[in-house]
Amino acid sequence: MIQSNNPFPPERLLQLDDVNVHFPMREGLVKAVNGVSYHINRGEVLGIVGESGSGKSVTARSIMRLQPKQALDAGGSIRFRRKSGQEVLISSEDRQSSTMRDLRGNEIGMIFQEPMTALSPVHTIGTQIMRTVMLHRNVSKADARARAIELLTKVQMPRPNDIVDRYPHHLSGGMRQRAMIALALACDPTLLIADEPTTALDVTTEAQILHLLKSLQQELGMAIVFITHNFGVVADIADRVAVMYLGRVVETGTVDEIFYEPKHPYTQALLRSIPKLGGQKARRLKTIAGSVPDPFNVPDGCSFHPRCMRAVGGVCNVTAPPEVRFPSGQMSRCHFAEEFRSEAAE
Amino acid sequence: MTVTSEKAMPMQDDTLISVRGVKKYFPVHGGWLRKKIGEVKAVDDITFDIKKGETFGLVGESGSGKSSIARLILRAYDLTDGEILFRRANGSIVDITSLGDREMREIRREMQMIFQDPYSSLNPRMTILDLVGEPLTIHGVGSPSEIEDRVAELLRLVGLRPEYVARYPHAFSGGQRQRIGIARALALNPSFIAADEAVSALDVSVAAQNINLLQDLQEQLGLTYLFITHDLGMVEHISDRIGVMYLGRLMEVGPTEEMFSKPLHPYTEALLAAVPQPDPRGNRERKRVALKGEIADAMNIPTGCPFHPRCPYADAKCRAEVPALRSVAGGRQVRCHYAESLDLTGVAAQ
Repeated sequence: MIQSNNPFPPERLLQLDDVNVHFPMREGLVKAVNGVSYHINRGEVLGIVGESGSGKSVTARSIMRLQPKQALDAGGSIRFRRKSGQEVLISSEDRQSSTMRDLRGNEIGMIFQEPMTALSPVHTIGTQIMRTVMLHRNVSKADARARAIELLTKVQMPRPNDIVDRYPHHLSGGMRQRAMIALALACDPTLLIADEPTTALDVTTEAQILHLLKSLQQELGMAIVFITHNFGVVADIADRVAVMYLGRVVETGTVDEIFYEPKHPYTQALLRSIPKLGGQKARRLKTIAGSVPDPFNVPDGCSFHPRCMRAVGGVCNVTAPPEVRFPSGQMSRCHFAEEFRSEAAE
Repeated sequence: MTVTSEKAMPMQDDTLISVRGVKKYFPVHGGWLRKKIGEVKAVDDITFDIKKGETFGLVGESGSGKSSIARLILRAYDLTDGEILFRRANGSIVDITSLGDREMREIRREMQMIFQDPYSSLNPRMTILDLVGEPLTIHGVGSPSEIEDRVAELLRLVGLRPEYVARYPHAFSGGQRQRIGIARALALNPSFIAADEAVSALDVSVAAQNINLLQDLQEQLGLTYLFITHDLGMVEHISDRIGVMYLGRLMEVGPTEEMFSKPLHPYTEALLAAVPQPDPRGNRERKRVALKGEIADAMNIPTGCPFHPRCPYADAKCRAEVPALRSVAGGRQVRCHYAESLDLTGVAAQ
């Protein structure tokens, strides 16, 4: 693995440089993650948005070194700063390595979309939390149980003394997600990876979980990588946003930049296609032509060009666009990013 | 029986479907002999009308009974009580709850359903010709060559190329499969379509395309839609009128704009407040009070108003008395004791 030469400043918690994850399939090679770079500072919430197949989950799983077995690591570096201040090159670690086993559940927590499949159905909520605590901390069973109840209280679980001895199937979807969060927070991680944690929930429960995550994030000062396809959720929770399309990050910026001054045509088009509650009632929704291409036939040049309203023949379909960086730190992977400087998405 | 029963009020001329006092209770079995130990009141005393040519939206959390209503209208379930009147294409009015299987089969030509999951709702072993042509074959409409022509016409109508008829569903994307489902639903020229979470499984950019298609088809063919979803932004965009459901009951019914800008029921207010908006500045300014607790267990519905344990305005009367769904000004209906005195916040049009 090549060590990236990009600097790793002290406030940085996690940095991905040109990460590639490929899947060899009968039909050809799928470049699910195709040169992804993003970073997250301590205590920051990074929202990752994209449609299905954009590679947002595969990237997150390779941070945990939990990518599917057939996945090929095809280069790039993932660096993480430990609580001790020491820097780890995660990308050179193996799934089973002692470093990874020490990081997972201890310094990096993860929550998933479907808590029913992520939690063990044959162990009580308490047992699952206690195991994590006892694995990483040298504590007695009684102390671990006390910690489990403390965590359940922290995630505002009703009746924590009772729930601790319950199985996941006793709980509702929202309560399971709270249990999942309690488990992820068991060892005070500095980084929480949340992969579509509210997608399966009703809006009222979703609002509760988002509120809880925000308050826990402020209380514990952890950083969150929040993966979602829902722009409303991102607007609510993220400090910065990375927009992904077909295995690439096409735009990054602060949440306000992404929503009010998007500089990539894909971000602009996506924002226009969402019916906004209480918005001006237009008869037709604005759409993006076509659909996400299948991963075996990724278009040449800019992979968004066949669907892009602003695509210019001879440029966009030939050359892959460079990363265009703006003074504010906003980045857009578009040949014409400079031209959107003053334009705001209506 | 093909005439309206005497007890019913006559249907208004502009009404296509009238759902009246409909109940659906599912028995719950348990214990050693699998005896009936209780009931789930999935749908309880629902009354509303769907007008000809309109889109009626049904919203609510999971378990609120919104999908059950679509299935009751299409008689996929038999109901426990109530009646559902339907105006047929020939002008006669039938109570579909009293029809036998043979008569119901005739009626189903006029009412169809579009499903949520475009992956599991199409048989993977059938070609598009067989899938879209199946309703025609079942109802014995046309010869094989006529069916082929009709299928080609339907595919064009939903924006798919007619050359694709020999392909199988796996060759299509999610959005295209959803269009195949729409073509299949349209095969017999229905007047009414129930769309149950029809775009929820699709990506944002594709969902918008299919919503536009549904609206175009409605205009061209004069269709009436029952649009069921949990996505409030989508339902606001597509619906003329909306019904809000909670624990098997309708809490509020009214025209979309009026309801969303000035809700009359505290639950509608809470739902609107919970939606995260794609507007970070707005979210920071908007004070969003998260609704407390969770939807109650359908086997143990709270006494009085079913929403009272979560309602910030509830008092002793709400805990004791079940409010009735009553009509208020502006063609709106609401099931709340204090609808007139509460001053609730909606989402302001910008």
